[in-house]
Amino acid sequence: MSKHLIHLTVNGKEHELTVASNELLLNVLRDRLYLTGSKYGCGVGDCGACSILHGDESVLSCLVLAVEADGWDITTVEGLADGDQLNPVQQAFLDNSAVQCGFCVPGMVITSTALLRENDDPSEAEIKDYLRGNYCRCTGYVAMIKSVMDAAAKMRGE
Amino acid sequence: MTVIGTDVARLDGIAKLTGKQQYTGDILIPGMMHAVLLRSPHPHAEIIKIDTSEAEKMGAVCLTYDDILINGQAVVYNERSVSVPAATYRDRTILPNKARHLYEPIAAVAADTEELAYKALQAVKVEYRVLQPVYDPQEAMEEGAPQLYDKVYLGDKEVDICNNIGVSRNISQGDVEAGFARADRIFEQDFELPRIYHAQLETKGCVVAPEPDGGITVWATAQSIHGNRQLLGRALNLPLSKINVKKIAIGGAFGSSIQVNTVTPICAALALKARRPVKLISSREEDFYSHQKYPVRFHVKMGVTNEGMITAAELSALVDFGAHQVQPLPFLGCVAGWFASLYQYGGNIGFHGTAVYTNKTPCCAMQGYGNPQTNFAIESMIDIISGEMGFDAIEFRLKNYRGVGHEFWGQGPTIRTIIKSCGVEESLLKGREIMGWSGRGRHTDKQGRIRHGLGVARGFHTSGTGGPKEGEVIDYSSAFIKINEDGSVDVVTPVMDLGGGTWDAIAKFVSEVLQVPLQRVGLSPTDTKSTAYDVCTHATRGVYCGGGAAYHVALEVRKKLLETAGRLLNEHAENLELVRDDDLGQGVVYVKGLRDNQMTVGEIARQAQINSWGTLQYAGSYRQKNCPPCFTTHFVEVAVDTLTGEITIPKVLIYGDCGTVVNPELFGGQLIGSFGRGMAYTLYENLTMNEEGGFTTKPQAASEPIYTSQPVKDGELLNHGALADYKLPTSSEMPLIENVLVRHTDTYEPTGPFGAKGIAESAIASVQAAIANAIYNAIGIRFYRLPITPEIVLQAIQKKAVK
Repeated sequence: MSKHLIHLTVNGKEHELTVASNELLLNVLRDRLYLTGSKYGCGVGDCGACSILHGDESVLSCLVLAVEADGWDITTVEGLADGDQLNPVQQAFLDNSAVQCGFCVPGMVITSTALLRENDDPSEAEIKDYLRGNYCRCTGYVAMIKSVMDAAAKMRGE
Repeated sequence: MTVIGTDVARLDGIAKLTGKQQYTGDILIPGMMHAVLLRSPHPHAEIIKIDTSEAEKMGAVCLTYDDILINGQAVVYNERSVSVPAATYRDRTILPNKARHLYEPIAAVAADTEELAYKALQAVKVEYRVLQPVYDPQEAMEEGAPQLYDKVYLGDKEVDICNNIGVSRNISQGDVEAGFARADRIFEQDFELPRIYHAQLETKGCVVAPEPDGGITVWATAQSIHGNRQLLGRALNLPLSKINVKKIAIGGAFGSSIQVNTVTPICAALALKARRPVKLISSREEDFYSHQKYPVRFHVKMGVTNEGMITAAELSALVDFGAHQVQPLPFLGCVAGWFASLYQYGGNIGFHGTAVYTNKTPCCAMQGYGNPQTNFAIESMIDIISGEMGFDAIEFRLKNYRGVGHEFWGQGPTIRTIIKSCGVEESLLKGREIMGWSGRGRHTDKQGRIRHGLGVARGFHTSGTGGPKEGEVIDYSSAFIKINEDGSVDVVTPVMDLGGGTWDAIAKFVSEVLQVPLQRVGLSPTDTKSTAYDVCTHATRGVYCGGGAAYHVALEVRKKLLETAGRLLNEHAENLELVRDDDLGQGVVYVKGLRDNQMTVGEIARQAQINSWGTLQYAGSYRQKNCPPCFTTHFVEVAVDTLTGEITIPKVLIYGDCGTVVNPELFGGQLIGSFGRGMAYTLYENLTMNEEGGFTTKPQAASEPIYTSQPVKDGELLNHGALADYKLPTSSEMPLIENVLVRHTDTYEPTGPFGAKGIAESAIASVQAAIANAIYNAIGIRFYRLPITPEIVLQAIQKKAVK
């Protein structure tokens, strides 16, 4: 398998890595950079547990080859909080008890954050539509949807 | 103010929200190997020979049936160990010498990288003698059907298996025939529930590190760390003192890890052989083939008087449990129990259960352990009878339900309790007001393309499996609690939290008993070496039994604290008061009425240490001697699109009775999450497989061609083990937030910690029937099989129109 030199910025930190051409971005993040917050749930883009931010866009890292991500500016769940200060989505999830087993949560807060960067006042229907690629088997989504609405309101200064 | 009943950010919330919570797959150990499994491409085949030499040349370490023999014998076990040994069927080994379902693991390969492991796996050569599979449970019992087993074990006894019947259980009470004779009308009906998949977000996995003393350290997706410890000791012939199973967060379970996961002993055996740490994480496709929910075919018979009393009831259940027992004996007992405990039936109950081996993925518990299945049949039947006999469906239930003072079978016929708290009446009476029950109308009055209906069903689950006498199931828990020298408290509990908030409840109980601020209660990241036994977080027992043990141990610590304080304050312990002082950030002890003369809990603990009196601590095991039912009631509004057959749920009212509510928002989360899963069980989920090559005595009809993008093997799931082709609920199918109404009843369970009992599994029990009953109210069509998909609805509507 041929090797490639790539550059990634992950959570503000630059990395130079040699990766095989078949290596997945999710595995590079987890096994090489030890950022295990992004989860393997299916490996084929069905569940959303591996979601990361590429710039402001939510991307399934299990469907991206590491070579494809050369030059990307990535934020993983580990990079959302500012020190001890959770981002508004994380804080709203905590305040609304939207977390149960927590395995979908990294992907869910990443995708919710992407939504709020795109639209600071989403309707309930828009939130539901945006989150439908992220499975949660525990919560029934209601507390999560409410959390995104609360986070949006807070970000708008309400 | 008490922390019980107050919403507080969950203990593991920040870790889970920032990606710092570790799960099994996140464990990385230097020098760790990656393992993959060789799975049988045949649903039924003897394994003649496995040649691993080429794989080993590539640097891989391989594990086959020959490697798991101890003194020439394979250890035969059951993955599930919550039942007593004498009530546990044993039929499997770490790796088999015969494959009994498609993709059953038959060999394992570990290598330095996952890629190399897969390459080495392809170099393993296996010679099979292919056997005909049997898929249908009815056909599996017929003459000439392929036999999966000749013999298995029940406890220490060898048991012959005839006609693939794994277990049959007949249970009766009262005089069923006399009861039916007293009835004015007899109703009989078949119901059928499909196989579905847990779809817990974290696939089953394991990491095992061999230790220099010959032992192993284990991280595994588990609902019971001690269950894993004991089974690994037995399967690997290791002293239990050499096995340490770490407590680690689990990414959802829903019953899928009550038993030790199939991958865990394989991973441990590989690590011991390789003498290196090994990681084995199932792919999603593999996970689909590891365990599934029990499908059941029911026949229900009920006798009813014109006055609306049920005089007798009989239930027959046929269960297709797949290739291994995990374990249908208690499952059938529980089905009988859920059935028996719903209504009084004049004391006349008959149950006939048969569980059959088939060449399919083994079935295990999945939220409710037969309760959602049984409830769908019985609560549909109650609705049918109400309609046929002109009873109000709520009044009919209120006349016949089992409530306070009645007996509840918490875990089959051997674990029973007297009901001491019950919210059934409150939930039905208040629920019908909230949801406008009297205005729901009849299906014959409804017009137009979209037709709305309102349905109700009620259910329950047990809280744990304790009883006054020991029964078929083991139930006790343990805890160790100590007060630190600054007044903070460490709690060491073997109890697993599957996400529902069990650990938060335990911390709150300890906080309340010891009057220590919740933020100063620490839950130890512990393991099996540092804890005494807890059976498992199953049977909705986390809060009631696990929390109950922590509560009782905390009471002992409190006793020690007050005795020690008495020595320091020169006062009898009974004359002392312990209260939380939020300004000081800890508890304080003072002589009743004399607040001036007080010591903080930290001062007491520190002074006891300085005086060399010892640490304020206690360790103990505790069994709850009851198994109180937690009740739920669902009022569901459906909207049926008569043009497309699509069903949506505009509104739901969920009533839960968990006694004292410990974590209100998490209680709501349990009820709403369960509603989502129940909605999917009713309307979407079904594991269909290619059964064309299976044994049958019926003439083979030309079957429908199977439409998928790839060819489907015999015994293969039509979704190819992909979530994309297995319809799970997403955010978009849930009702609007304002239309998901959650209420709790005003109840107090006298035997529970601070009046609490469980909630988790009860929360799904009555969802299915409530939806089906609502569909009937909308369009006048009764569905007896799940799932009720748009195709099926449409066919039924068309059929009705033709009539």
